[in-house]
Amino acid sequence: MNHSILLSILCAIAWGVQSIFLKMAMRDIPLYTAILITLIINFLALVFLIGIGVGEGFSEFYNISGSVYFYFMVAGFLNYFLGRTFYYSSFRFIGVTQSTSISSAYPIISVVFAITVLGEKLDLHQLIGIGLTLSGVYLLMMRGKR
Amino acid sequence: MSRWRGQMEAVLSSICFGIAPIFAKKGLMSGLNPFYGATIANATALAIMIFFFFFSGRGMRLESVKRNGLFLAILSGICNSIALISIFGALSIGKVALVVPISCIYPLFTLLGAYLFMKESEVIDHFTVMGTFLIVIGVILTT
Repeated sequence: MNHSILLSILCAIAWGVQSIFLKMAMRDIPLYTAILITLIINFLALVFLIGIGVGEGFSEFYNISGSVYFYFMVAGFLNYFLGRTFYYSSFRFIGVTQSTSISSAYPIISVVFAITVLGEKLDLHQLIGIGLTLSGVYLLMMRGKR
Repeated sequence: MSRWRGQMEAVLSSICFGIAPIFAKKGLMSGLNPFYGATIANATALAIMIFFFFFSGRGMRLESVKRNGLFLAILSGICNSIALISIFGALSIGKVALVVPISCIYPLFTLLGAYLFMKESEVIDHFTVMGTFLIVIGVILTT
């Protein structure tokens, strides 16, 4: 099998089970402590990779422009801070499966943004995809309401 | 009420996860290695979280952290890192059109994991299974 497929499957497995571990961890530790620990581990892993030679070393950080720093800082605030806080916080109130599935619908947000702001047009399969995703979110949100 | 709050938080996380790549993409247009971008993004979130953690007084509760919870949170962080590294690895050697849809199947692994290891606390019924599959198929078609 192609290495990129294997790595993609590994990513899906790792990302899929991390939420299980975190929900189990939150039985014993507070939400913000759990988020802080995952952020520290992520940061150490990235620093380690750069340290062992992935990329051009730490000196490359000096060559990055201010605007690029700004874009990634906003992305980090939205994804790693706000997104994760909401995502992990939701584990306290609903099932980890429900929460993960709803939050995994994020590509349609990007698509909606691309249509409304960037004026992009959608293909038929993308429209069907949005319909199916929204139906799935609706089903999960209606679960237990009957 | 708490169920509604949980669902709204999951929706809000989805909105945040959906908007963030737009900024990351703008940053990557400079030709920067994605690892540097991920490190800047992660360091930003970590700095805000440390600030929030200690200035809200939550740091004082560190001594109440149980070893089992700490171990599981570290395990979650390691899995998170593996996911991050493997997606970058996959994107660097494979086609985006193949890598992104495959990586989007992760809710199925959460569903399986919850079914296997969290039977006592997770309610997995037909709605959950159908909803999860619909979202995964929908996201694959959208990407």
